[in-house]
Amino acid sequence: MATPVSEVLAQAAPAAGENVVIETRNLSKVYRDFWGRHKVRALKALDLEVYQGEIFGLLGPNGSGKSTTIKLLLGLLFPTSGSALVFGKDALDVSKNERIGYLPEESYLYRFLNAEETLDFYARLFDMPASVRRQRIADLITMVGLNWAKRRQLKEYSKGMARRIGLAQALINDPELILLDEPTTGLDPIGTREMKDLILRLRDEGKTILMCSHQLADVQDVCDRIAILHQGELKELGRVDTLLKVQDVTQIQARGLSKEAEAEIREVIARHGGTLESLENPTTTMEELFLSIVRDSEARPGRRVREGDKDRSEE
Amino acid sequence: MVLEDDYFLTFMQWLLPGRQGIGALGWFMIWVPIVALLGLLVGFVRATLHYTARDGLASGILEGFFAVARTIDTAVKDLSQTSARRTFAMARLAVQESLRRLVLVVFAVFLLFVLFAGWFLDVNSDNPARLYMGFVLGMNNMLLLLLALVLSTFSLPSDIRNRTIYTVVTKPVRPSEIILGRVLGFSFVGTVFVVVMCLISYVFVTRGLNHEHGVDPTTVTRQTVDGASVVSGQTTEDLRHVHTFTLRDGQGRTDIAHGHWHEVEQVGEGENATFVVGPPRDTLQARIADYGRLRFLGRTGKERATAYNVGKEWSYRSYVEGGTKSAAIWRFRGITPERYPEGLPLELNLRVFRTHKGDVEKGIVGLLKLRHPDPAVNTESETFTFTAQEFQIDNLFIDRNLRAQKSDGTLKPIDLFEDLVDKTDGSVEVIVQCAEPAQYFGMAEGDVYLRARDGSFFWNFVKGHVAIWLQMVLVVSFGVMFSTFLSGIVAMVATLATVVLGHTVDFVTELATGEVPGGGALESSVRIVRQMNVSAEIDANVGTQLLQGTDLVGSNVVRFMTFLVPNYKELSRTIAENGPLVNGFDIFNTLLARQCLTTFVFVGVVVLISYFFLKTREIAA
Ligand SMILES: Nc1ncnc2c1ncn2[C@@H]1O[C@H](COP(=O)(O)OP(=O)(O)OP(=O)(O)O)[C@@H](O)[C@H]1O
Ligand SMILES: [Mg+2]
Repeated sequence: MATPVSEVLAQAAPAAGENVVIETRNLSKVYRDFWGRHKVRALKALDLEVYQGEIFGLLGPNGSGKSTTIKLLLGLLFPTSGSALVFGKDALDVSKNERIGYLPEESYLYRFLNAEETLDFYARLFDMPASVRRQRIADLITMVGLNWAKRRQLKEYSKGMARRIGLAQALINDPELILLDEPTTGLDPIGTREMKDLILRLRDEGKTILMCSHQLADVQDVCDRIAILHQGELKELGRVDTLLKVQDVTQIQARGLSKEAEAEIREVIARHGGTLESLENPTTTMEELFLSIVRDSEARPGRRVREGDKDRSEE
Repeated sequence: MVLEDDYFLTFMQWLLPGRQGIGALGWFMIWVPIVALLGLLVGFVRATLHYTARDGLASGILEGFFAVARTIDTAVKDLSQTSARRTFAMARLAVQESLRRLVLVVFAVFLLFVLFAGWFLDVNSDNPARLYMGFVLGMNNMLLLLLALVLSTFSLPSDIRNRTIYTVVTKPVRPSEIILGRVLGFSFVGTVFVVVMCLISYVFVTRGLNHEHGVDPTTVTRQTVDGASVVSGQTTEDLRHVHTFTLRDGQGRTDIAHGHWHEVEQVGEGENATFVVGPPRDTLQARIADYGRLRFLGRTGKERATAYNVGKEWSYRSYVEGGTKSAAIWRFRGITPERYPEGLPLELNLRVFRTHKGDVEKGIVGLLKLRHPDPAVNTESETFTFTAQEFQIDNLFIDRNLRAQKSDGTLKPIDLFEDLVDKTDGSVEVIVQCAEPAQYFGMAEGDVYLRARDGSFFWNFVKGHVAIWLQMVLVVSFGVMFSTFLSGIVAMVATLATVVLGHTVDFVTELATGEVPGGGALESSVRIVRQMNVSAEIDANVGTQLLQGTDLVGSNVVRFMTFLVPNYKELSRTIAENGPLVNGFDIFNTLLARQCLTTFVFVGVVVLISYFFLKTREIAA
């Protein structure tokens, strides 16, 4: 399982100084009620950068502020303080939307339209010739596998079907940045697999993807970098391969040693003997990482990431 | 029919300062800054409250100020980038949405109403045309406003509640396009409805009033007068009325009953002859009238702007006293032989006020003469007499070949255009007096006119529906505006409130200026509780003064609000019961143009305001 991930990661290691697509500075959000009274502090001073061409995963338990972050980046919410920049523009600037695709956490689509009409409506909001529009609608419907149901009104759609049309809608303008809020929920296993393949393919085409998900295995499969949020605070941020590496453990695989020799193995290795087939740190699973961070945060509230970052950079 | 003074203004007179105070443009110049200032104030207070909650008052005010400036800055950018393509896409969506919602139900209800209406309408009325049109126009107006209300107020709130708006505003759509698209889309649906309802009700009205008569053979009598055979008789009773008719040499017509007449023709000769009664004539008319300017002479013959008030509560008409020098003088302009080759087709629609009963059946005798407007020329025609009947239009055709009284009392022939019309502006004066002492004629500017031509009733009917259309567009815009920050049902109530307010502007103004007897809301409530008459003196203590003071403030607040909503009453004046369409007069195109301009200005401002509401709304909060 670790092999494909490391292969994937090898192709797309974002180097420092690469184009920053998303940048948040001290981004905070407090939800207030009608009277302006403080209700929920959903996001606390988030600093984040997402680079061009990477798949960035936002992780966190329910209510940790993932969707809030995405909505702030889209201008659907106004930040309480701090700033969110997308393509270097303020998140409230409408013109950035030309280059963005967004798949919301649920399928918020017009139930009285059918699949074709839906895509036609969204496509007309972008500046593209009619022929391109028609071609793209046909392609996207085929891509999400809904050709058989394209004339049916969305109110007759199942959850997964609506989700697929939602994805097609997000890609209608061939966006450079795609924000996916829990892209695999509601999809069947094949759909999930296709979604992951699609995300990787889009990345290979040079697009940037920000996604949040609870399917940790999926995140582990596709994401280059992740951030873990807990109660609105950033708890962990880094490359998936680095984060999953267990630094203080070494894994050795050896062949051709007798039973007796096994007893002396530590000694032998210490003296550089035997045939060392592999020597590496074992990887944990995303699930274990996630659970340990959340348990840790609950035990010791406060900012954890900063220290973690420092620790790692010292190594 | 009631035509207020401003009805006669030309477009430019209405627009520019001069004739009507500061003119519409003047009002616009006052109105726009007030609305803009009000908007800025609301925006500033909102932003300040928001930031004060976060950073405290001092920096809250500062931040509020910057927020307003920022919003205006982005507004300028957004509005300049508003694209027709995206607006059209939004409009299309609005249309699709309406088509797949309740709209068809409303339409079905309308059709049912019209189908059953025939049963409820009292055809025995003196003037069934008025009845039918009043019903149909009122119905269409109400249904369309209702439709506009339902269409416009539920759309945005449901988008926001269902969060479909998330997928829209994350596309490069400006709030202005979301608003404008909806206004256009719903107006388009409304327009289709106006057209369909206009056509259906036209058919309904013409069909409903169409009827055939036969001739009752027992009533037919034949005579020979001056060598011509004269036949008279009665028609059969149809649609609850009967006509009498007279034929001369086989040709003739019936009398006017229920506002119309028929042609009657004899087929065959002698005793075997039968009679064919044609279709009803003049049931639905669109008289194109040439109006003059009116002034009065008092009892002693002195000029005055208005004549006498006979104590009726309403001063629209002035009264001219019979048997005195009191007179009404109309000055008509642009009278040329080209326009009126034969003479002047005058029509008089006078009110009669009797101080004694006299012969009620007979009507009151009036005198009418023409005069050259220039006193120096001093030519006037002989005097014609006519009998004025209440609620009936009297036709008086003045032939161009007239006679004038010479100083020695003899008559000499004169020509209307040569001797009575002032060549410089083609004007001539028509002087109307009441001949019977102690009886009065009530007259307003629109009551005596030249019937220049007859326009097409169908197009007049269409013009009436333009007035309905304008109101529909206004309701749509207001509905969309309220729906940017209120939930569906609340937005609907708010929009409805503007319509009600817009229909009662006059009343509210009178209330605020203390012209309504019985006082404002509080005072009249006290009167109701204490069972006091509206004109009874209310004792002047501190309590009642407080009450009246509060009323004054309250009614002035409401009055100020009328300043912010469109005057729907003014927009429906052309289709009102006492308006031109129902009474068979052509609707002035200039009036329609004025109403269109007013409406579009309102729509523009409302769209702009809605833009700000939507732009500053945190969609996902
Ligand atoms: N419109 C809102 N009004 C008030 N509070 C809100 C609103 N939306 C979210 N919140 C609160 O903000 C916090 C973060 O919510 P958010 O939707 O960002 O969580 P999430 O990480 O996406 O959770 P999930 O995994 O369940 O999708 C939660 O405590 C939530 O209750
Ligand atoms: Mg979420």
